[in-house]
Amino acid sequence: METTSIADLDPAVAKALESDLLAVADTKLVLGNWFVMCVNNGRSLPDFAALLGQSAAVLGHARSLYLYLVNFGHTYEHLEQGRDAEAIASMNLLDAPPQSWEDFIASIYLAEQASWMLMSGFLKHPDRALAGLAEKIGQETYFHLKYANGWAALFAESGGEAFIEALSARYPLALGWFGDTDSDPLHAAGLRSVPLSALKEGFAREVEKIADVVRLPLDLPDAVEHGTDWRPQSRRNGPLSERLFDVIRFKDPEAVHP
Amino acid sequence: MKRKQINRTVEIGGNRTKFYEVFARKDSHDVLAHVGSIEAPNDDLAQVRAWYVYDQHKWKEMCLVPTDAIVSVTEHDKRVKIKEV
Repeated sequence: METTSIADLDPAVAKALESDLLAVADTKLVLGNWFVMCVNNGRSLPDFAALLGQSAAVLGHARSLYLYLVNFGHTYEHLEQGRDAEAIASMNLLDAPPQSWEDFIASIYLAEQASWMLMSGFLKHPDRALAGLAEKIGQETYFHLKYANGWAALFAESGGEAFIEALSARYPLALGWFGDTDSDPLHAAGLRSVPLSALKEGFAREVEKIADVVRLPLDLPDAVEHGTDWRPQSRRNGPLSERLFDVIRFKDPEAVHP
Repeated sequence: MKRKQINRTVEIGGNRTKFYEVFARKDSHDVLAHVGSIEAPNDDLAQVRAWYVYDQHKWKEMCLVPTDAIVSVTEHDKRVKIKEV
């Protein structure tokens, strides 16, 4: 496998790659903070450890992706610490805090699954650094998805209605994150091995599988309408709320490891 | 403030919470060694909890054995007791 320099890419393709990676990284940033905020809702001591472990892994993914995005002319400090709410490209799915334990599990499952589908498209990226990063993220996401599956199996024992309800409510926001899949410049340029439309279909199939665990019908839309404030490059509608931004923003540069 | 509500039967596994013994090795030359135990209501959650609780090394391999599946040789008809590491 050869290494491709970003400077050699068509500017529009390079921008599309940068946008996709930033969308995954920022989604991981917000997701990591979700885990941190919800640790005390863990159901037992080992559950606290599992939530903290997942938060560390997910925040690690965000930081690794920011580090890779330095190749696009950014500084790491700017990406991690210097952006305002408007510039954060996280999934709309994570804008509203979880309303229940079932909603928390449904939300983290959808965010992990959708962001992994997008990253999995780079497993055969010509830049081995990015392909390796995608592989590492996949290895760690395996446990995060298993965590949600384990909980889904428990929800099934009490009927599982609340979980299916949360999954149905949050799903359109995750599906919408894939954006317009009719054209895929990254696949056309050979940077994404699987077309975005196929990744989106794969995501829908995976969500149906977790509904099967609960053994309840799940009626999912095939497509969602984006509002007028949809920003395709950020894969989101509108800016992050100031309240959520205050949770996820970088607060203490003094505490950073050099 | 809304209090956390936990359905003990469903969410913690009620009376059928299982215990698992955790075995791991750092590389293929090591023997698979007992590193501890974990409680979980099902195999999926047990795997994740074990992976994150016993993360002191970058394990090459980790596996779980349900404690109930262990047949005691020295203490016939008694529940197996494995010393925590």
